[in-house]
Amino acid sequence: MVVRTLAIEKPATEQEVAHVLRESSEAGKAVVPVGGGRASGMGGVLERGDVELHTSALDRVIEHSPADMVVSVEAGITLEALQAELARSGQFLPIDPFGSPGHTIGGLLATGWSGPLRFRFGSARDFLIGIRVALADGRLASAGGRVVKNVSGYDLMKLHYGAMGTLGVIVAASFKVFPKPLYDVTVESGDGWAGVERALATPMAPVAVELFSTGRVLARFFGSPDAVKKTAAGLGWETADESVWREHSKAAPERWARIATPPASLRAVLESLPAKATWWASPGVGVAHWSFEDAGELAAVRGAAEAVGGSLVLMAAPDEVKRQAGAWGSPPSTLDVMTRLKDAFDPHRTLNPGRFVV
Amino acid sequence: MTALAASVVEELRRIAGRDSVIANADDLRIFERDASIEGAMPDAVVLPATTLEVAAVMKVAAKHGVPIVPRGAGTGLSGGAVTIRGGIALQMTRMRHILDIDPVAQTALVEPGVVNQELSLQAAAHHLFYAPDPSSQKACTIGGNAAENSGGPHCLYYGVTTNHVLGMEVVLADGSVHWVSGDAPDHVGLDLCGMLVGSEGTLCAITKIKVRLLRIPPSIATLMAAFPSIETASHAVSAVIGRGIVPAALEMMDQMTVGAVEAHYRAGYPTDAGAVLLVEVDGIPESTRELMSAIRAVLGENHGYAMREAQTQAERDLLWAGRKGAIGALGRIKPNYYLHDGVVPRSRLPQVLSAVGEIGEHYKLPVANVFHAGDGNLHPNILFDLRDKDVLPQVEGAGEEMLRAVIELGGALSGEHGIGLEKSQFMPWIFDADDLQAMQRVKVALDPAGLLNPGKIFPDPERAKVHLAGRTGFAVEAKWW
Repeated sequence: MVVRTLAIEKPATEQEVAHVLRESSEAGKAVVPVGGGRASGMGGVLERGDVELHTSALDRVIEHSPADMVVSVEAGITLEALQAELARSGQFLPIDPFGSPGHTIGGLLATGWSGPLRFRFGSARDFLIGIRVALADGRLASAGGRVVKNVSGYDLMKLHYGAMGTLGVIVAASFKVFPKPLYDVTVESGDGWAGVERALATPMAPVAVELFSTGRVLARFFGSPDAVKKTAAGLGWETADESVWREHSKAAPERWARIATPPASLRAVLESLPAKATWWASPGVGVAHWSFEDAGELAAVRGAAEAVGGSLVLMAAPDEVKRQAGAWGSPPSTLDVMTRLKDAFDPHRTLNPGRFVV
Repeated sequence: MTALAASVVEELRRIAGRDSVIANADDLRIFERDASIEGAMPDAVVLPATTLEVAAVMKVAAKHGVPIVPRGAGTGLSGGAVTIRGGIALQMTRMRHILDIDPVAQTALVEPGVVNQELSLQAAAHHLFYAPDPSSQKACTIGGNAAENSGGPHCLYYGVTTNHVLGMEVVLADGSVHWVSGDAPDHVGLDLCGMLVGSEGTLCAITKIKVRLLRIPPSIATLMAAFPSIETASHAVSAVIGRGIVPAALEMMDQMTVGAVEAHYRAGYPTDAGAVLLVEVDGIPESTRELMSAIRAVLGENHGYAMREAQTQAERDLLWAGRKGAIGALGRIKPNYYLHDGVVPRSRLPQVLSAVGEIGEHYKLPVANVFHAGDGNLHPNILFDLRDKDVLPQVEGAGEEMLRAVIELGGALSGEHGIGLEKSQFMPWIFDADDLQAMQRVKVALDPAGLLNPGKIFPDPERAKVHLAGRTGFAVEAKWW
């Protein structure tokens, strides 16, 4: 393998981002967008790479309107910096991705990483209300807006979410934000799947339920104090300190994979993992993360996940593992449609060539 | 007499059956419009029964270059289902089966013609419900909801249609059939499903929808509160949310609406109030009790009075019947209405509503407001009588000015009704040429011949000349979106 040094660009404005893209595109160069670098191991091995485009200088809060519960930020701001801004008004964004801290908002949107709170709040996809993107031809395009409910024009937020920066480089985003919960309690047990079932069946639904390969279960409840206390007490589990979530969100092994299945099928797929495997899961969401050891273990589990309509995607792995196993698995049945969209936005394949499915 | 060649109509009949193709002028008239103002006749209506028939009809349209417009119950408020260029209306209401309700996975698989409320009624047997609840839910279809990304009073807490659609089977303009997303999260590749929801029939016809169902909450509390003015009620709304409480629904009606609703439903709405709020919370009994007592305190601190909590399901139903039937009740004042659904940042509600009031006075048209206050989604109803000579241009002028006020306050053209035909000319108010060109790339990639629901969402150059003299981009210049 030829190791080359990529040229590094750190534009300070969205116009400069667009300029880098246009110049690169015209020169036939390939651009690798970089946010916090937390997901740099995700995706296939790059076919080409000439320019690393860092968004770290685009780190402003553009506007936070606490009364409207809406925030607009530049894409290079870190999740922690944004949460600190929101916390001053008693608000937060319910995203708690693994591999924290250090994610940028642009990186989170491009990769679609999520965490335990997804069970109640959905992923960032569900409260992303506006986006601004620098396209490969140097244009800047917005979609959505800064209101919490909006059907004006195509929902291009969804198109760029999880697209690994292959349709454009996200330069800014707006979110619907949430009030901090009135009361927040976490309880834990070592009851494994039986504990998960109990937690998911409580009359007041938890906001997060996490299961670990050790059998440890964490359940978190948000709401009015009496309701939360009563529900948590009803489980009869130990109270856990809130800091367990911060610790948990740091998880980011050197080699790991995300398994996504219909929630009802997750258990069976996890039971196909090697006996001593280390993993953790959001059973109510249908997502698990597996710290795998050997590339040879991947195929059988991916087969089990795909057989139930799910997927196994590499979150980080050495290049040789990616080449051997494939980063994304079987191509989606709609690959042809996706390719038409890719061609419409990045016909010269300037953006992250080889890293995504299109 | 239809503009479609007899041979094309014959092809359609071979696909869907003789009884499922309508091409006679008298019968076609039924499909001329939706619930908005402007109409246009289709050349033929096809009522397919299966996905394969939809695909075959789409291929016929593609082969002959005929426009084709998917249509649900026709309750849309933005002209989305109007065949403005003629062609085929693809009437989806024969595909009206709930194919599966999975009580364990809490999902349902439905055909597009299933009526929104029917799904919740069927799901109730499993103590489940479908959350998006447009006011037209007794008639509107899930397919239409998905095409428009519909909202409803309860989307304040629960989210809009796109947050509840897990996957769809769609037919593209070339007649190809695809499943996009599904039961598993994080589908590999681009999120086609998310992009197609809300695309207003311009990118695909939807033939199956997999939706998420939610558990029916064990208790619900519904409170009505009166306020001296819209302004005080708006501040109260912000105060509730500022206290960290996001109710399941937070709806407001102005005095004119309350008067009409009360005359019609006798729900006990205070007709002397400047505005009435309807607040609902749900959850376990401890939760609804605590939240409702906190909400009562906040509303009381903010000039709320005559607060009344529904004590029985019947009382709750009556309060909601008044809200959801408000637009019908306004028929007591004038027989016709024109309804916009701009959205503003919530804190701008008092400003935008005072502008709406001034515009109504200027045009000498009564305006009744009933809206989703928690979301900042206003619904000014301009009331008129179509029999009054020359009233329509006045109504449209007033509507356009109201939308302008919305945009100038940092808002958006539509919260839940869609752009459709009605607001396509206004898109350049909020999106610049590059924004629209990015959206056009999607349109061209999926429907290169432009046959699927033409004349919608994007400004029509012909119509634009009339509407847009010297106004383009004023909001775009003010802020970057």
